[in-house]
Amino acid sequence: MKKSLHLKVKELKTGLGVFRDLELVLGKTITEPWEEPQGPTPFPSAVDLRDWDLKLLSRYRPFYLPYCDLCCLCTMGKCDLTRGKKGACGLNLAAQQSRIVLLACCMGAATHASHARHLVEHLSKIYGRDHPIQVGTGEVEVEAPILRLVCGIKPKTLGDLDEALDYVESQITHLLSATHTGQEGDALDFESKVFHAGMVDQVAMEVADIAQVSAYPYPKADPEAPLANIGFGSVDTSKPVILVVGHNVPPAAYIMDYLSENSLQGSVEVAGICCTAHDLTRYNSKAKIIGPISWQLRFIRSGIPDVAVVDEQCIRTDLLSEAEKAKVPFIASTEKQCAGLPNRTGDPVDEIVKDLVEGKTPGALILDPAKVGEVAVRTAIEVAPKRRKFGALPGQDELVELAKKCTECEECRRACPNDLPIPEAVKAAASGVLTGLADLCAACIGCARCEDACPQEIPIHSGIVKASEEKLREEAYKVRVGRGAIQDVEIRKVGGPLVLGEIPGVIALVGCANYPGGGREVAEMAEEFLKRRFIVVASGCAAMSIGMYKNEDGQSLYEAYPGVFDAGGLVNVGSCVANSHIAGAAIKIASIFARRNLRGNYEEIADYIHNRVGAAGIAWGAMSQKAASIASGFWRLGIPVVVGPHGSKYRRMLLGRKEVESNWYVYDARTGEKVYVGPVPEHLFFTAETKEEALVMLVKLCMRANDTAKGRAIKLAHYVDLHKRYYGVMPDDLHLLVRKETDIPITLRDEVMEILKAEGWRERETPDPTLLERLAKPKEAR
Amino acid sequence: MAAPWQLAEVPGLEQALTLKPEMAAKLLRNAKRPLIVVGGNVLGAKGEDVDVVKFVHRLAELTGSPVVVSPGCFRVFRERIGDVPLTCMGLEDLVNRMRDENWQGLRGEGNHDLVVFLGGIYFFQSQLLSTLKHFASHLKTLSLDRFYQPNATFSFQTATEDRWKKDLEKILEELEAKTS
Repeated sequence: MKKSLHLKVKELKTGLGVFRDLELVLGKTITEPWEEPQGPTPFPSAVDLRDWDLKLLSRYRPFYLPYCDLCCLCTMGKCDLTRGKKGACGLNLAAQQSRIVLLACCMGAATHASHARHLVEHLSKIYGRDHPIQVGTGEVEVEAPILRLVCGIKPKTLGDLDEALDYVESQITHLLSATHTGQEGDALDFESKVFHAGMVDQVAMEVADIAQVSAYPYPKADPEAPLANIGFGSVDTSKPVILVVGHNVPPAAYIMDYLSENSLQGSVEVAGICCTAHDLTRYNSKAKIIGPISWQLRFIRSGIPDVAVVDEQCIRTDLLSEAEKAKVPFIASTEKQCAGLPNRTGDPVDEIVKDLVEGKTPGALILDPAKVGEVAVRTAIEVAPKRRKFGALPGQDELVELAKKCTECEECRRACPNDLPIPEAVKAAASGVLTGLADLCAACIGCARCEDACPQEIPIHSGIVKASEEKLREEAYKVRVGRGAIQDVEIRKVGGPLVLGEIPGVIALVGCANYPGGGREVAEMAEEFLKRRFIVVASGCAAMSIGMYKNEDGQSLYEAYPGVFDAGGLVNVGSCVANSHIAGAAIKIASIFARRNLRGNYEEIADYIHNRVGAAGIAWGAMSQKAASIASGFWRLGIPVVVGPHGSKYRRMLLGRKEVESNWYVYDARTGEKVYVGPVPEHLFFTAETKEEALVMLVKLCMRANDTAKGRAIKLAHYVDLHKRYYGVMPDDLHLLVRKETDIPITLRDEVMEILKAEGWRERETPDPTLLERLAKPKEAR
Repeated sequence: MAAPWQLAEVPGLEQALTLKPEMAAKLLRNAKRPLIVVGGNVLGAKGEDVDVVKFVHRLAELTGSPVVVSPGCFRVFRERIGDVPLTCMGLEDLVNRMRDENWQGLRGEGNHDLVVFLGGIYFFQSQLLSTLKHFASHLKTLSLDRFYQPNATFSFQTATEDRWKKDLEKILEELEAKTS
């Protein structure tokens, strides 16, 4: 039943007395009382957590890297904001950067919210609004840690998720409105709103993922989720192939349903790119994954797919014209990307299939996912014998001839996001040597800007793909299907070792595939942390890149390491919206392990996580606005995020200054006194230029004020070891990180003590740390 | 106005002044507290005949400037030119300090007044130079890469490898002439 009235009163004074947190809901049945008391900030407004944000922002000051010196958002502009000049509206460059960050985060959060809204509506229609929320089979009692924490609600059914989405949508509207001319003008206040956008984005992601996990036959928090096939080479090209691209699974799920209902499983291949692929393998692990977002052009132009179905998010916006070139019928399936196609939703399936097969129309917009399932399968089966895998790639001889047109003007390289040495490769191709082009494939992000830049119209990207065709077709790896949430029992088991610092940390490898030098670096980072027995979690394109790599034994890391949330485990949570489970795991540590109240208690839980849970994220190829909002949700929880060099184009970092002592004080909850704890964690948002820098920084970012001596010693051992291995020297900040002699790893004692002496180091106390004065009381006051 | 190497990286109205090696040498000679910053792409940088490590070594000797090397390349620099003062530091961490007028610099003698950049990943270096351009009026930046960096105060124009090599050599010659 849809609720019709929802009234909440924080405090109501009446003749009978004072009522606090009075909540009146009409038209909604509350079946079970929740004993946990409501915390101070259920459904927080954009300013309710501002004090917390400003605490974090005073430690981690915004560091602006303006990406454009101008503002062109209103008609008083363009305004030049160079070096302190203000725009016509009064805004300065720092505030303008934070305003753009807020815009990006609103776009990201809105995308997840819209995705979530669509899923909840669709799944409610099919499975009923009363369909229970079930994210784990008996092992997950805290079903929605983010909703409990942020909204103060405990959803029982799909219908209960509406309330959280109503909240998210209202907050995004408020936040977006703050970016209008003449609204917010203070950089720090923009930053606080960025955090708020990130927090509500986490709510949206959690709603989306728990809705689909509850309704669909996905793995439910299963560490032994099956392995799926990933890579070009995992597709049987003798069969009709359906490609699905994007991140909203219902149309693709109906494709699988139609195949099984018509006993066609096994005779048609369904393969995905980007997060729809993750979610489709969660739905049915027989589906294949081609690869991350950057594989779109490669795969379409190869001619392997016989039909392309797109849903939403991260789809190349020119995919229709690319599909046309390879004579691949194209189906758009959501209102987010209609692609200029006629709306055929109401037409009979036979007619649509006929038009697509005969090429009367290059594509169709079908807004009924079930119909998409049938049209896609029938079209693929009928069109495959006609297409015979017609590709849009030049033949090798043709490629050599095309390359001869090159005048070495270097425009291709200057258009390449990764500054790849394309001219040399094209020059070599002109003399018949294609290995140079083939070598570019690994670091190519598949944008094809090189082609548009070429005045000779050489199809450079196609050339790269053609030259690497053999290698691409051999790509065949295993990836563990996204498991969703982390079980409560897993949290109970690792909570202690993590909070005490004995498991050196949780590293989350997340985000898009805009890598500076290819996806291999992501897999190498994952392997390094797995060998060191960190807990490694992954999602989205990064989770795919980790799978597309084989270790010394010829295994993918998902084969070599178990899928448990434990030291040395490699956990693929799933698609982008499954990032909510990574935040959820950190929140559950505070709740299940430390028994802190979650309900509407954001500030206290974030403070707990920031000071105690050694977790850090790395989005090596972060590209999208969604990635920005995902990161900002982690910042508000006090969890640091590292990005690769392209991430500097997000134009704002949050950096600590480790040598500025006054920044690194906390309250000791036992005494109420302020105590120096050193720069842990040092940054909240940081760009690493190289993989080596990222690795060393990530290890350091897992240190927390609460680490025990044993835990800090373990973390320091990893830090020193990696620092020495990659940089060849001892770190220069050990005196800031060692609190007592017992923190020093035994094998390094003499060496480290010598350094500490030279720095005039003295032992210091380890407090019960909190940034919140209200939680810190001297004993006599308790 | 010169074009950025990565053509779309146009920042705005104020872009780096291009300069000849003689002028670069003059700036370096006149600097009170120069700093050399080497980015993480330096070993992958194209320029077959240019040994950037060797150039940095000589430049540091001639200017007496400390050198910061991006962590990804520090090891190689230390092994090859460990006799000049080298600091291993992430470029973002470094620029975060440089933008603070009150930072006392690597030697504790005051913030640097001229910072030489080379060898960074082009677009990342451009972003960091942007920070300094807008928020650090107390210092000037000089890009000695082969590719024009519009966000620097001064930059070489984009040049052929041969031209670039000669320009770098010219800087050293000029500095040597004045010190000898």
